Amino acid sequence: MKRGRGWIPLAAIALSIAVLPWIRELTGFPASYLVLLSGVLFWTAQATSWNILSGYSGYFSFGQGAFYGVGVYTLAVLVGRQGQSWWPALLLAGLAGVLLALVIGTIAFRLRSLRGEIFALLTLAIPFILSAIARVTDSIDGGQGIILPVPDYPDFFGPFQQFIFWLSGAVAVLALVIAYGMVRTRYGWALFAIHDDEAVAEGLGVPTFRHKMIAIAANGLIAGLSGAVSALQVGFISPEGTFNLRVPLFVIVMSVLGGRLFWAGPAVGALYVVTLQNRLAGGFEGWSLIILGAVLVLLVLFAPEGIMARFVRRPWTIVSVVAGVLAALALYGGDPVTWFAVALGIAAVVALLPAGKPTGRRASAPAGRLGSTRTDPGSDLPPPATGKTLLEADDLTRRFGGIHALRGVSMRLLEGELVGLVGPNGSGKTTLVNLLSGALRPTSGSIAVDGADIVDVAPHKIVHQGIARTYQIPRPFNSLTVRDNVVVAIMFGREPRGLTASRQAAEEYLALVGLSDLGEVRPGGINLHERQLLEMARAMATRPRILLLDEALAGLNPVEIDNAVAVVRRIHRSGVSIVLVEHLLRVVNQLATRIVVLDQGRLLAEGDPATVMRNPAVVSAYLGSEAHAQRD
Amino acid sequence: MNVLQAGLAGALGGSLFALMALGLSLTWGFLKVINLAHFGLILLGSYLTFELATTTPLGPINTLLVTAPVLGVLGAAIHIAYERFEVSELSSLLVSYGLLIILVQVVHNIWSADFQRMDAMVNPYATRSIRLGDLGFPLPTLLAAGFGLVLVVLVSTIVNRTYAGRALRAFGQDREIASAFGIDHRLIGMALAGVAGASAAIAGMLFALRGTITPDAAFEWVGLVFAIVILGGIGNVVGTFYAGLLVGAVSGVVALLWTPSHSPLVVFSMVVLALVFRPGGLFPRRAGRH
Repeated sequence: MKRGRGWIPLAAIALSIAVLPWIRELTGFPASYLVLLSGVLFWTAQATSWNILSGYSGYFSFGQGAFYGVGVYTLAVLVGRQGQSWWPALLLAGLAGVLLALVIGTIAFRLRSLRGEIFALLTLAIPFILSAIARVTDSIDGGQGIILPVPDYPDFFGPFQQFIFWLSGAVAVLALVIAYGMVRTRYGWALFAIHDDEAVAEGLGVPTFRHKMIAIAANGLIAGLSGAVSALQVGFISPEGTFNLRVPLFVIVMSVLGGRLFWAGPAVGALYVVTLQNRLAGGFEGWSLIILGAVLVLLVLFAPEGIMARFVRRPWTIVSVVAGVLAALALYGGDPVTWFAVALGIAAVVALLPAGKPTGRRASAPAGRLGSTRTDPGSDLPPPATGKTLLEADDLTRRFGGIHALRGVSMRLLEGELVGLVGPNGSGKTTLVNLLSGALRPTSGSIAVDGADIVDVAPHKIVHQGIARTYQIPRPFNSLTVRDNVVVAIMFGREPRGLTASRQAAEEYLALVGLSDLGEVRPGGINLHERQLLEMARAMATRPRILLLDEALAGLNPVEIDNAVAVVRRIHRSGVSIVLVEHLLRVVNQLATRIVVLDQGRLLAEGDPATVMRNPAVVSAYLGSEAHAQRD
Repeated sequence: MNVLQAGLAGALGGSLFALMALGLSLTWGFLKVINLAHFGLILLGSYLTFELATTTPLGPINTLLVTAPVLGVLGAAIHIAYERFEVSELSSLLVSYGLLIILVQVVHNIWSADFQRMDAMVNPYATRSIRLGDLGFPLPTLLAAGFGLVLVVLVSTIVNRTYAGRALRAFGQDREIASAFGIDHRLIGMALAGVAGASAAIAGMLFALRGTITPDAAFEWVGLVFAIVILGGIGNVVGTFYAGLLVGAVSGVVALLWTPSHSPLVVFSMVVLALVFRPGGLFPRRAGRH
């Protein structure tokens, strides 16, 4: 879905926009088409910019009108009130959009309690505030409205409508280039990861705050520029006409219609909505919005992934439909816009018809998927611990309200060690992993990697120090394939790489855990064991020196446990030091070079496995609750 | 005294928006759908009141006998559709926005985009006001406050004191667990959506009572009503009512001391601050959130 050669259609679009006015001079098609296309381009820019933030990252914004309106008013005030030249005003309008975006982002994304709905509501409030400011400030609007003169532009651009067409086209192409560029680079992938699971993304090295800020800034920039162009076109500006619900709601409809996860989705949605409105304008206005509303309802219910997703799945059907309509047009003549609208309609119906069963990739998975990891060449000997301290936790305490999850625990991990972290339920094992990985901060105490304190370091930077973790209950990015889950980890890990290189490198990590055959499947289509292996592959793809495995074997059957043990051993032998949280003492005894026992948040014992297991305190802590686990 | 008058009149006016917010807050808090179609139901309520009061001898308030059951059933039906398609919180926003567009356009097609108002013969309330000492209050806003108070007391009693209410709260916190304990979510959800729909009928009637109605009014309510829902705390019945009074009072005082155009500036700045510092609403429930 996010691969392919998108730059070819992109270049074609840019070229068509550049030459279209000249073609018009040659063929003499009516200027009204240029107006219609300018509308498509305006909405393409608006919807694409909204989609970069809200579609890619999942932070749903109702604030599009704010960015748009700031662009409109920056240009209107500079040109209409102060008589400035149009093009510096245009650039300043884009800048104003960015500034507003950064202010909103700084406030919203710093909130600890920020959830999707809170962000949506926060952005809902902003246009109302801006509208009121415009209305009450005489130097901005003061309730009078602003009349804009036709700007003084070079003769080269021809008639005013042609000038606007090119300007709108330039902004739309800029929007598409940014949207496409993001999909092809880490900027977009960071947002996809944030969309699926922000905490996990941060834990894999994605600087989530920075990427959200980049996304909202891109949204503000494009919406501001595009708003400024539309202000030039419209000529009369008022708060009511600017900060209404039209812009925020249309961009949502268009993006959902086209497909939120595709760079071209919002543009396709804009094409549909604008064409539909145009064709319904002659006497059918009363139906236009009803159809639009029905389309939105039906799409969300039956094709939430949008039209683009279906187009991509059967491009040839679409191409043949469009070719057929063009042929019909050549034979019968008639209004091309009507034919185009009919072509769009048929293409949509064809695209949305139930697709048998959506590509059953799952079926291609071979039965003996685990086979590749069974044969485990080489000895079982782990690399010797060198004695150099990698990770040192000192006197860690963590409280949740009045509950002490950890009280003064100290532990260290030497290079080459595999420390088994054991203890009854509620003894603080997972809390310790959360502290070591930076997901939680200790109430007191210190954690050092190579002697450098990491307590106040952001989780994504801890990844770059060489610590990676897995989750007890696997948390894959569900909208990405198994391979792309690993790709994200490579792109943001300790040795970051580009998209193409990461895709190649991902094979190595899939092979390491034996998931090579499942690279194209989505996490929803694999079982628990495979998801736990994916957790390990993803963690290893960040190239850690220290791997924290949080009950990576929980809930597995004996065969799967043997397989997982082999994978852990292989990872250990590759030179990674491991902290293994585990219930099954059999497994820990088999793997660990040293064991640390926690009980009720305290360090109960530590040492080599044989000694620790004979420790009377350990036996009594485990008796009843865990003694039976030793037998299976 | 002027400030007091403006504040009180504003607060009473705010109770109408609190009524609108009540239905939205209920379905959002307990059923986890953000139902923008609620605004369409309120609009429909206004126009049905206008139509029935004009063409029948019922009188505007008694139209509730018809509109409340009709909109209650409609609200419940929409909720059944949400359930049937397992609409999530976010997609409910999109689906119900589509429904809102349709409802507004249908109203537009039937009654036109022009302003409509009930004849003074039909609606004697619009111009009347009641004086308390030096203070005068328009009758429609007093009625709004009265209806609002009754409805809030009723709903909060049901939510806080009855088995159905407890089931509802359990359901609002964790659907699966609540279902596992034998709570029939379909029935409760339907009943709640029905109550929300009926409340839309009341809000619509009161809006029509105040004077002119247009189809675009539905979109104009969105901002203010969401502001009240947020300030009151999502799903907090009493808090929603307080927030409506507060927003109304603040708007009234700001309009008096400054200009009416400044009111949204102050109200929505309050919303932003509330979201940043008190995301649970201004009036936290005594028992805590969980």
